[in-house]
Amino acid sequence: MKRLTLIDFTGPIIALVVYVGLTMADRPWVALATRIFPNEGRYIYQNASTTTLVWQQFAMVALSSSMAVLIGVSLGLFVTHRAGADFYDVVSSLSNLSQTFPPIAVFTLTVPILGFGFEPTVLALTLYGILPVLRNTIAGIESVSPTQIESARGMGMRPYQVLLRVELPLAASVILAGVRISVVVGVATATIGAVAGAGGLGAPIISGLINDDPPVTLHGAILATYMALLFDAFIGRFEKAFAFSSPGARA
Amino acid sequence: MIRLEGVTKRYPSMERPAVDDVTFEVPAGEITALIGPSGSGKSTTLRMVNRLIEPDEGSIYVGVDEIHDIKAEDLRRRIGYAIQGVGLFPHWTVFQNIGCVPWLLHWDKPRIAARVRELLDLVGLDAAEYSAKYPSQLSGGEAQRVGVARALAADPPVLLMDEPFGAVDPLTRERLQSEFLAIQHKLRKTVLFVTHDLDEAIRVADRIALMRDGALMQHDCVERVIAYPANEFVREFVGTERALKRLSLAHVAEEMGPPGRAAATEGRVPDGATLRTALAVMLEHGERAASVIAEDGSVVGSVTIDDILAHFERPLS
Repeated sequence: MKRLTLIDFTGPIIALVVYVGLTMADRPWVALATRIFPNEGRYIYQNASTTTLVWQQFAMVALSSSMAVLIGVSLGLFVTHRAGADFYDVVSSLSNLSQTFPPIAVFTLTVPILGFGFEPTVLALTLYGILPVLRNTIAGIESVSPTQIESARGMGMRPYQVLLRVELPLAASVILAGVRISVVVGVATATIGAVAGAGGLGAPIISGLINDDPPVTLHGAILATYMALLFDAFIGRFEKAFAFSSPGARA
Repeated sequence: MIRLEGVTKRYPSMERPAVDDVTFEVPAGEITALIGPSGSGKSTTLRMVNRLIEPDEGSIYVGVDEIHDIKAEDLRRRIGYAIQGVGLFPHWTVFQNIGCVPWLLHWDKPRIAARVRELLDLVGLDAAEYSAKYPSQLSGGEAQRVGVARALAADPPVLLMDEPFGAVDPLTRERLQSEFLAIQHKLRKTVLFVTHDLDEAIRVADRIALMRDGALMQHDCVERVIAYPANEFVREFVGTERALKRLSLAHVAEEMGPPGRAAATEGRVPDGATLRTALAVMLEHGERAASVIAEDGSVVGSVTIDDILAHFERPLS
């Protein structure tokens, strides 16, 4: 495994610093937006500060994604090993649903059941976020060559060692790709959470749409997209550290 | 020592047992080749010895212990296991790959490092150059050398090898085989290895266990399997060049006579060559005898066509 150092994260960290700067630059934004859209009523969301909105957005995604990763990876590992083999078919076809299920539909289905607010939104995001993680965990574990597993067992690794030392590291890049997709989609989906009253960067987006204030929508959309790109960049760095080519590639 | 007694393995999907009542012994310090066509059960037999597959019937002993008296993982750490180069872990360096079993056995770091250096040296790879490489940076031959080093890491008395010299070109394979023989000469491990290549078995093994459809057809020393096939299947498997294969097992030094008999001939064979080479030299020169020369070029004896015929007539012990 390539050791990750701080240098590997130079780009994403600079981008993060710029982002933090942006969240605190309400006045420059208003000045800029006034030039681009001279005759609008509002240029920025009034009911909460930008930092609060960004923080709410981040909290929603961080909470839901960590739970989604925890559940998705555990479930994926469970069904790809002997103990959970019976559930493989059900879980695997369920995980494929994620490709056909549009993010906007998540809340139309969950709001009537879970209700409005921050916690129900996080719960809905978690459920939705499990699917790509689960799908890629299954695909990643299945991509590990049986020869490598046999050789690990043949050398006397215990089952948990085979899992932690061989299967997980070799599946990690595929699993992390699933995590990345889940988180990026999560950032986008969380903006719709504003409809369910969860706050976050969806609030200015929707408020701008309703009140016909394009600069407000734009402000929220830029900050949300930027946040998605940040997650993408950070997780992508980890993903690369686990990219291995097969042995004997030169043979 | 490895001993199998009445070992049988059945799979529900198969009509006949995959391995059917197999009994044989690999004596300590010797190499036995488990050979047969694909589907003959040779790999299944090998994998039962380190419990990657559990037998349905019979007992297997490694040393004095019945393998089921030992926890599977502990058993495997006492048995070297080498498979084709792809069994190396791509996310680990050569150092980590070779140090795997010592690490599992909780050796301390300096001891592992010293052992890895020693093993890389043994298999002819430069420790400084190769330790930090990843398997993807190795050629096929290098990967298999690392595979052998990894199997030897914790100095197990017993080695299991599944086509350890497969998947490389014939030249590399021959070199790996002779390197392995040189290592075996030093270490005297008890080795059971699977191959489908009879020539490899002849070159490397002391004994051959020939399998077909899960059953053991013949188990004997290499010379006897070739000279006295137990049945029609073995005769066919050994093939039409049985006689030449026998010659390739006998060395000139064992059969040669005094130098005078080949005085008038041109053919020369080194004293370390096989009778097969001697015959080839005679045929090439159209002569019935050839001089045997030592490494320094001096003539030390002669070998004649009659010596070769006599070799065939003499019964094997």
